Amino acid sequence: MTAPEYHEPHSGGPAPLEGTLSEQKERFERLVLPHLDAAYNLARWITRNDHDAQDVVQEAVLRAYRFFGGLRGEARPWLLAIVRNSCFTWLQINRPADMAGFDDRVIELHPMDEESPEVLAMRSLDRRMLNEAIAALPTQFREVLILRELEDLSYKEIARVIDAPIGTVMSRLARARRLLAESARVISNASVPQVNK
Amino acid sequence: MTDEEASRLLNAYVDGELDPAKSLEVEAHLGANPAARAACERLRGMSAAIRDQADYYSAPAALAARLRESVPAAPAKAPGRAWRWGWLKPAAALATVAAVTWIAALFTLRPGEEQRIAQEALSAHVRATLADRLIDVASSDQHTVKPWMSARLDFSPPVTDLSGQGFELAGGRLDYVGGRSVAVLVYKRRKHVIDVFVWPSSADAIARTTTREGFNVEHFARSGMSFWLVSDLNRNELSDLADLLVERSAAP
Repeated sequence: MTAPEYHEPHSGGPAPLEGTLSEQKERFERLVLPHLDAAYNLARWITRNDHDAQDVVQEAVLRAYRFFGGLRGEARPWLLAIVRNSCFTWLQINRPADMAGFDDRVIELHPMDEESPEVLAMRSLDRRMLNEAIAALPTQFREVLILRELEDLSYKEIARVIDAPIGTVMSRLARARRLLAESARVISNASVPQVNK
Repeated sequence: MTDEEASRLLNAYVDGELDPAKSLEVEAHLGANPAARAACERLRGMSAAIRDQADYYSAPAALAARLRESVPAAPAKAPGRAWRWGWLKPAAALATVAAVTWIAALFTLRPGEEQRIAQEALSAHVRATLADRLIDVASSDQHTVKPWMSARLDFSPPVTDLSGQGFELAGGRLDYVGGRSVAVLVYKRRKHVIDVFVWPSSADAIARTTTREGFNVEHFARSGMSFWLVSDLNRNELSDLADLLVERSAAP
């Protein structure tokens, strides 16, 4: 079959026009800084550490300001792409292990037993376990999951953030969810006695 | 549609990313396959669980403050543009920019009344977010928010608690849009803040959503009130809130 077609729920806004130089800071504060929470949330989930996330976001936002003249289209995916790049640069230097095996093919999935009732336990998984399971996902799957579920980005916007084709977004997201379902099953199997009390 | 193809498209279907034709094909497949339907429900359940329970890390206030200070007031260079404009004399560059702005305004903006108000509401929302001044009266109780508003405005905005529907009333504030003082009801859904601007209007208008600057803006007018919803929440859920408000404002 041919490649599926996708909706584009968020149309790209008009590219900002070059204003006078003195308006730059005002425009930056108006267009980019409102997305600071999204930037921090992404960095915090990628680095998995408050202190590191603060350092990375600070550097990324200042970098974004330097490149602000290059902003075309929506500010949010644009800023998140810069934050994500800063995160990866930081990881490569400080925690290369997190970047190891950054290849979609490395993660082999076992076919899931679709009828298994444990898979249904997702909802009842407690908050702490769910967060740990997400944090334990490999970086490339964790980031698409966060961008989709917590930042409500469309596939097209996620593709822009991670600089990959939409097909890659789709397959990574599907794998992220399967890995998560898999670990939910493992966790709830391990804690059956507690669940039934 | 084969099982394999359907299962490949299921994530995109659940995320609302398929075009209508493909969506219908997947739905037909789900109708005929209980196992696929169960898989679809599991995906939805997982998505809901993550949205409800995964930690959302908001930027620490100290980081936001530090950044606002360290973004230099003096303009930074924009590398990557320099080579394109470098050969122009600054005055010529300025003239070109002005001409481009003028032409773009002529062809793309055409600021009708509605667009102007959408932009003003959006600016008000961003201003309030940046200044961390979203809420003047913090209460999830509609019977606290409504009298507070009525005492300060020349109209009484409809205030409804929709926490049962997943939109928690966080409070309200006064703002200034379209040349008048307006009521702003602040709702929260997960970590997203939704500003609902309300003021009296004689004309009815059907709901319409637009996207600007990364935010969704939805407008409708009903029962003598004009509503403008502004948020970074996704369009579907913003429309859900609009539907609920329409429903509630119809009931006296």
